[in-house]
Amino acid sequence: MKPFLKRISAEISLGWAVVRKDIKVYYLRPGMVMFGLLMPFFLFFSFSVRREMAAAEGMARLLALTLFFTAAAAGPFIIPLERRLGTYDRLLIAPMSLITLLLSKTAVGAIYAISVSVIALLFGVVFFHAPIAQPWLLAAGVLLGAFTFSTLGLIFGSIPVRNPGDVQMPSNLLRWGLLFISGVFIPLADMNSVARAIAYLSPLTYAQDLMNQAILGSGQINLWLDLVILAVSGVIFLIPSLKLHQRGKVLGY
Amino acid sequence: MTEAIQVENLTKVYPTPGKQKGFLAVDQINFCVHQGEVFGFLGPNGAGKSTTQRMLTSLLTPTEGSIHIFVHDLAHDAYDAKLVIGMVPEESNVYTELSAWDNLIFCAQLHQLPKQTRQKRAKELLETFGLWEKRHDKAENFSKGMRRRLSIAMAIIHYPKLLFLDEPTSGLDAHSTHIIHDLIRKLNADGATIFLTTHHIEEANQLCDRVAIINYGKIAAIDTPERLKSAFQQVQSVEVSLHTREESSLPSNLEHSLNSLSNVSTIVKNGDKWRLYTQNPSALLPEIINYAGQNQLQIISLNTLAPSLEDVYLQITGGQIGVVQPNQKDANTPQRKRGNR
Repeated sequence: MKPFLKRISAEISLGWAVVRKDIKVYYLRPGMVMFGLLMPFFLFFSFSVRREMAAAEGMARLLALTLFFTAAAAGPFIIPLERRLGTYDRLLIAPMSLITLLLSKTAVGAIYAISVSVIALLFGVVFFHAPIAQPWLLAAGVLLGAFTFSTLGLIFGSIPVRNPGDVQMPSNLLRWGLLFISGVFIPLADMNSVARAIAYLSPLTYAQDLMNQAILGSGQINLWLDLVILAVSGVIFLIPSLKLHQRGKVLGY
Repeated sequence: MTEAIQVENLTKVYPTPGKQKGFLAVDQINFCVHQGEVFGFLGPNGAGKSTTQRMLTSLLTPTEGSIHIFVHDLAHDAYDAKLVIGMVPEESNVYTELSAWDNLIFCAQLHQLPKQTRQKRAKELLETFGLWEKRHDKAENFSKGMRRRLSIAMAIIHYPKLLFLDEPTSGLDAHSTHIIHDLIRKLNADGATIFLTTHHIEEANQLCDRVAIINYGKIAAIDTPERLKSAFQQVQSVEVSLHTREESSLPSNLEHSLNSLSNVSTIVKNGDKWRLYTQNPSALLPEIINYAGQNQLQIISLNTLAPSLEDVYLQITGGQIGVVQPNQKDANTPQRKRGNR
């Protein structure tokens, strides 16, 4: 095997080892499992009680929110925790590039979000007979949304601190901000031009629109724009994580 | 001889918020570690030991200078350098939620050991480190000594050519310390180069082929323990234990009297003995014997002592020999602030 291919193969293998370790150590804990099982139900009841909403419409909203909240549920806190316990050093001195490490951390959050979303989806389909207009688009949307929101969470995990509590406040502030300006609470069609322009700043808007296109069969934004913006945002969100890690190596974290 | 580590003009300045000048933790240090040796890195808290080690293991970006691990320049070829190093930090960084077996397998995966090799190696290490019976227990149930042993096993699972050990016996009981010292000797005998960061002088004296003493971010001395000791002959001493001939207690001014003997520079009481530091032990011995005779005191033991590595260390780092130093930590406060980064 050529050295380059050998290196790529080794990086994938190492990244996958980190993913499996993180799932075992952090995501299969009772608290995380309960959070994953209960979060969609809480979200469902929060947005459906006393509201006139079709099952499919509720399903699209539920999936977008589930992805948004679960993909970055633990990511921002795992790295600071590992830094505090010294276990992150073990990963940093392993023969693995930083981008592989960050992608593996992203993948863990995404896998968790996808697993929880599948449960929410099954719940909606089985109990509320929610129709799925474009299943393949739904799969692509769930994958892309999970990746993008996981990289968003990773930015906070990359802040050079050793106390997970230090990233909790800024992480929550940004996530709730992105939630409120998105088209989840008020559909884009009902927004005035200023509110709509602000809504376009939130990646959740595109995830919500993509879910609408996949489940309801129609959305307010061009389908390709939804896909491209989600994918590009995910890649762009990796840049501050890389920079923050490099800064952490200068500061001594 | 191939150098396992070659450090040139290595400097680390930590950025300090609100200040133009950062905190200088390591200041233009140069040294090399020969392949196959046990190299001790000594220094008081905050002297720059951990900062240096973190730079050597690529965890910290140097402000200036270069580091070569074997032939690999750490700044440009970190991947190849990482393939040959292992690190045991001061705090055992095992995954407490995983079993000993899973911890080892994960580390083997991180270093790309083939599946069959990693299982064989994990078994071999668990047996060597006395953890085989506990292999399925979560590490959270392990004692500090067991976690330290597991941490070392995790660091050497890929047969590193260069092993960094940071205070490997800190806080361990005598039995665990003995086991870890034996392991270090065995690893070295098997060909691994050991970089041992410690402030346990006796540990460095017992284990190291060469030691470097770092103080205030600079290398203050670097040599074999015996040559360092021989360079500090002025800290020779005579240890004496005195008793009264009758059942009466020792004179209350005994320490003052011993200290006033003409060849004594410093006196320190160690249990029931006095250690008298001198530049001329052969002249001091008859003085002590005369003093004991004149004061009806019986000499229980009388020994001349060559300078220990601890004496050398204290001389170099500015501590007073044998005296408890309550102010030493305060003196180092600015450096300690960054000491564990």
